[in-house]
Amino acid sequence: MSTNIKSNKVVIRLIVITKRKFGEVMQKNLKSLCRLLPFIAVGLMGFTQVAQSQEKVIRIGLLYPISGPGSYFGVMGREGTDLAIEQLNKTGVNGYKFVVDYQDSQCSPLAATNVVKKTLENFKPHIVVGEECSDATLAVAPILEEAKVPLLNAGSATMKLTGSGYKYAFRIFPNARQQTDSFAVNAIRKMNAKTAVLLYEKTNAGIDISDSFEKTFTLLGGKVVSRIDFGRDVNDFTSIATRIASLGPVDVILTSALEGQTVKIAQALAQAGVVKGGGGKAVQIGTIWLPWGFDQKAGKSALGYTRIVQFDPNETRPMVQNFVKAYKAKYGADKVPTHINAHAYDTIMIIAEAVRKGAKDSESIRSEMLKMKDVEVTTGKITFGEDGQNQNMSVIHFVETQPDLSWKTLNW
Amino acid sequence: MVDIASLIIQQSINGIVMGCLYVMVALGLTLIYGVMNQINFAHADFVTLGAFASYFFVKWMGGGYLISILVAFLAGGVLGYIINLTIFAPLRDRGDELRPLIATIGASILLENGSLLFFGPVPYQYDTPYADAIRIGKIFFTEQSLLVVLVASAAIAALYAFMKFTFTGKALRAISQDRETAGLMGINQAFLIMLTIVIASAMAGMAGAMLGPILVLTPFAGASVVVKAFAIVIIGGFGNMEGTIIAGLLVGLIEAFTTQYLGSGVIDLVVFGLLLVMLLVRPTGLIAEKKEENV
Repeated sequence: MSTNIKSNKVVIRLIVITKRKFGEVMQKNLKSLCRLLPFIAVGLMGFTQVAQSQEKVIRIGLLYPISGPGSYFGVMGREGTDLAIEQLNKTGVNGYKFVVDYQDSQCSPLAATNVVKKTLENFKPHIVVGEECSDATLAVAPILEEAKVPLLNAGSATMKLTGSGYKYAFRIFPNARQQTDSFAVNAIRKMNAKTAVLLYEKTNAGIDISDSFEKTFTLLGGKVVSRIDFGRDVNDFTSIATRIASLGPVDVILTSALEGQTVKIAQALAQAGVVKGGGGKAVQIGTIWLPWGFDQKAGKSALGYTRIVQFDPNETRPMVQNFVKAYKAKYGADKVPTHINAHAYDTIMIIAEAVRKGAKDSESIRSEMLKMKDVEVTTGKITFGEDGQNQNMSVIHFVETQPDLSWKTLNW
Repeated sequence: MVDIASLIIQQSINGIVMGCLYVMVALGLTLIYGVMNQINFAHADFVTLGAFASYFFVKWMGGGYLISILVAFLAGGVLGYIINLTIFAPLRDRGDELRPLIATIGASILLENGSLLFFGPVPYQYDTPYADAIRIGKIFFTEQSLLVVLVASAAIAALYAFMKFTFTGKALRAISQDRETAGLMGINQAFLIMLTIVIASAMAGMAGAMLGPILVLTPFAGASVVVKAFAIVIIGGFGNMEGTIIAGLLVGLIEAFTTQYLGSGVIDLVVFGLLLVMLLVRPTGLIAEKKEENV
């Protein structure tokens, strides 16, 4: 007991001495401290500025379908994006680094609406890239317009995206009319087509592409003998192929669907003996929907399938070959980049180009993108019109599937 | 131009093939409802997993497609057994009918997301080795279509014979008619309910193997078929095997002829319109279940 009392007294005494000493020191140094205060403040401000300059970032929100039937868009989109970000962030652009936030928008208007609101609130992006499917893109466009955040799209064909007066919507991908006008002309003039069937998923993209094709095709003297739409939940296309077979001879069948369904359609049309791949006469044609590798999945049914592609990995432009080389180095020598990889890569490069020109926030990214003229990317050249649509269609390839399932580039 | 008779025969073949696939999926649903008075919302995932079991057996292990149907059947059955043992049975023992129903939704989400984790979101390309078309005049069908009809017919016949002529089948029917009385007669309810789930899951797995080459194979593939299967079970009469078989074939034929004459875009409108009409006009289904009221 007595030991405890003694030790307590010692502790109390120590505290009293410490307080007294601290008071004396403080009194002595207070004047010096006051003199130093402005310098400390200036130093702190400088430190903050340095920290800020080190953290100069452009935030890019990415809406890609990571799940569902359109998930191949998301997986390939992410590959292209990651490659571009990796390249850009090695040195940065104008002192800026790029950070991204991926959201699974599922090719669905509802999911896309939910995740765009989430990313706007939490991530506060300077620009949003996506979606791939037109319906989902149309769902997020008004939300981003209201938030005054630019939307850069590379996969939706619907006319409504850049035809609805949005000031913040941009698209590097050819719209439905840009894709189908040239195809309808070539179907008539090069393929000698007189009759067509329009087979399309019942979405804004499918409808707009079919409408645009029909308009030009009929204007040039062709006849659309049937329009057949279907939902994304349709699995078996045998009945549709039977219906097409019952229409009599058809020259071309314009097909607009996601890859999984298009494979099944090609196989069903071949089994019904409608298309070349099944011994028939009709040729399946299509706009930019299918990635590289479709022909191998569809097999011999794909024989003669003629379509537009915006990216050809065999194209000799240095930009394309550098991209292919970098892609293979990152993802494997046996992998071949698709137009989806390339489009995703290009969107990031377009944003980087805007930053290179001095853009630093949503508004300046928008104004710099509007000024762009013939900016070269892997999928062509970019010149945005006032409506945000890329006007330069210099790199459009027509390809035809050969018996060995390779592409033959058509000089159209 | 195909003549009208050939067209009708052709679309009938298309409809019957699709109908057989629907019946295989729907029979599992109706079996579970018939015996347990419970709707299994996880049924779609057994179909999906059956398709994946078949796919990996063929692609990774180099097995034959025909054997893969058996593999999918077994995989479905084993999965059904595990799910029953770990989730459904403990909840059923608590005597609450709502919890097992909600558990089927939970199991479905669990299986879908588990599949997403293991198999990834990108669709798998699963081609049958029996894709060649057989042509008889203007009519065509693939070897796979023939296989679907043969396997479905055999499976339906085997199930029918099991339910009609075996003691276990009779016991299952006894449980579906009156569970309490069947229990008093010494019938082991827990075992038979487990057996019902295993049979239904195995059939779903087998249907998955048959559907694999037709579906766009993703972790969510079964959902598009099961929605139709639910409609078929309601149209046929919940828990009624004969009604389900007739309704399944009917829906397949309706789809084929709707595609021909109205367009495939209105298939769901027609099928679910029929469903509503059935609910209003004949809520017991095409073939009403004969149940005697205890007095």
